[in-house]
Amino acid sequence: MRLLSVLLKAWAFILRDLAIEMSYRSAFVLQFMGVFVSVGIWFFLSDMFHGMAPAMKGVEGGEYFPFILVGVAFYHYLTVALTAFASRVRNEQLTGTLEAMLVSPTRTPTLILASSLWDFVFTSFRVVVYLAVGVAVAWLAGRPIAIHASGVFPSVVVLGLTILSFCGIGIIVASSVIYFKRGESINSFVTSASALIGGVFYPTQALPAWLQSFSSFLPITYALRGIRRALLSGASLSDLIPELQVLSLFALVLVPLGLVVFRWSLKLARRDGTLVQY
Amino acid sequence: MANATPPAIEIENLGKVFRKRRSIGQTILHPFEAAGEVRALDGVSFSVRSGEIFGLLGPNGAGKTTLLKILSCLVSPTSGFARVQGHDTAFDEHRVKSAIGLVTSDERSFYWRLTGRENLHFFASIYNVPRDRIRPRCQELLQKMEMAPRADQPFMEYSTGTKQRLAIARALLHDPPVIFMDEPTRSLDPTAAKHLREFVVGTLNRKEGKTVLLATHNLPEAEALCSRLVILHLAKVRRFGTMEEVRSWETSRERYAIEIAGLSATRILEGGDRALSFAGCALEVRAAGPGSPADRVVVDARVDAGGAALTELLRRLLAAGGTIVSCSRREASLQEVFDLVAGEGGEP
Repeated sequence: MRLLSVLLKAWAFILRDLAIEMSYRSAFVLQFMGVFVSVGIWFFLSDMFHGMAPAMKGVEGGEYFPFILVGVAFYHYLTVALTAFASRVRNEQLTGTLEAMLVSPTRTPTLILASSLWDFVFTSFRVVVYLAVGVAVAWLAGRPIAIHASGVFPSVVVLGLTILSFCGIGIIVASSVIYFKRGESINSFVTSASALIGGVFYPTQALPAWLQSFSSFLPITYALRGIRRALLSGASLSDLIPELQVLSLFALVLVPLGLVVFRWSLKLARRDGTLVQY
Repeated sequence: MANATPPAIEIENLGKVFRKRRSIGQTILHPFEAAGEVRALDGVSFSVRSGEIFGLLGPNGAGKTTLLKILSCLVSPTSGFARVQGHDTAFDEHRVKSAIGLVTSDERSFYWRLTGRENLHFFASIYNVPRDRIRPRCQELLQKMEMAPRADQPFMEYSTGTKQRLAIARALLHDPPVIFMDEPTRSLDPTAAKHLREFVVGTLNRKEGKTVLLATHNLPEAEALCSRLVILHLAKVRRFGTMEEVRSWETSRERYAIEIAGLSATRILEGGDRALSFAGCALEVRAAGPGSPADRVVVDARVDAGGAALTELLRRLLAAGGTIVSCSRREASLQEVFDLVAGEGGEP
């Protein structure tokens, strides 16, 4: 019964954000236009490397375009997991609606988690469009991408664990926004570091050895490796056990840690009277 | 016989101390120095009976907002306790929030691009209105607040009065027994404010039996609506009780209205040796009522109780050449009590 109540609330948040999003129609359309532009950029860039990829160590599937397409598509997803909570809290603080939400009988963690759901829904949709446009462009160019259907389920499992890990960090950043009213700098640092050394645009093997060792501390490294192996090389769940183990460990540590820090930040904000300040 | 109904709101020895934030420079230069403190509430105790409209008054910075935030579980108290419908705000947040509705005058507390109805539907979900009741409940409240025709317009197109009505509708979504109102008529025009006051008294209080805690600076509004009130100043309770009890709180002083002929306000109030006031007697002068002769003024005198000070004042007025047309004892107005409290410092 309680789960149903939480799900209904989550649905109310999605409807709210959909209605707000649809009220900015041109921005809504332009976001999808941006997907075409982005895919075009990566396609023409990868054209330069066409035929060179087998020599590029660590490029899953041997072609750069599928490698970058999957990397960038899921990087957006992971960025959302990292930033959604904090940006939603900040947004509610700035628009003045946080107080009205917090005086409701709904538990604060439910409010924060549910308020970011739309970002996940919208990004999932964008990722699907991104991949579909990428596959279509590659097919039209006569270089079809081989997406392994058998890799879809393992990649979803990898993605789920990765989202959990990133949510842990995201909740910590949201806690920082609740107490310090700022968290963008942490977000910016983690997303930039993930892009730099997490294997989004190039394989981690392209990095100097000392930077490669740093990349092993980021969940995105294992996430992108696992998703690419599943989708581009058809790796099964059992093939992905090393990535799944590390991601599970990240999730097991980061999610409880995030919840503890969140609880603590709420307590401090209530004590200092800054809960609804911005 | 004691009233058996438990109070809707119970506040006992409530205290709240905020620590001042230190700048980075202060932290570096004086790392071991304790941060300063601001006492927002100090030993505040009072209770609000079930079904009454209770006023929460006080000058800016008195502690009203902090008190409302503690009662809404948005701020935790440093000492003492606050209970709403018997539930402790520090330990039973869910039950407290289920029992309260908060009406603020902050227009920003809605989603401006959504319609009034969409806003209400969303808040009904998080205010735990059962799913099958959300639509009829919102419609019922939109009709009750006389805004059904405009329910499907975006919130940003509403007038201030309509926005305020929607804020009340939101506070009533889950049918809470206790309503907190923070300056609800602050931005309303006189007609809208009058309608709102009528709604609070007629519908919320008398018809639906809701307890209303009204924080306001509008003293005529408090006088018109509240059966009892508390005045806070400098974090403490300075006056508490019915309007009559608050007005007659000051037992060591008495107030008189003395109508005088033949003396000007300047003559009565001017400073130096010729002033008619003296220790134990404070005077204000106003024009006599309409239709009175031009040489008439009314002296509002606040004098030590017991008669001696009044006798001395009357003697001085007569000696100065005045004629006493009338002299009557009167109660202090709420404005006078408020001004008196606002001028007080330190201990009550």
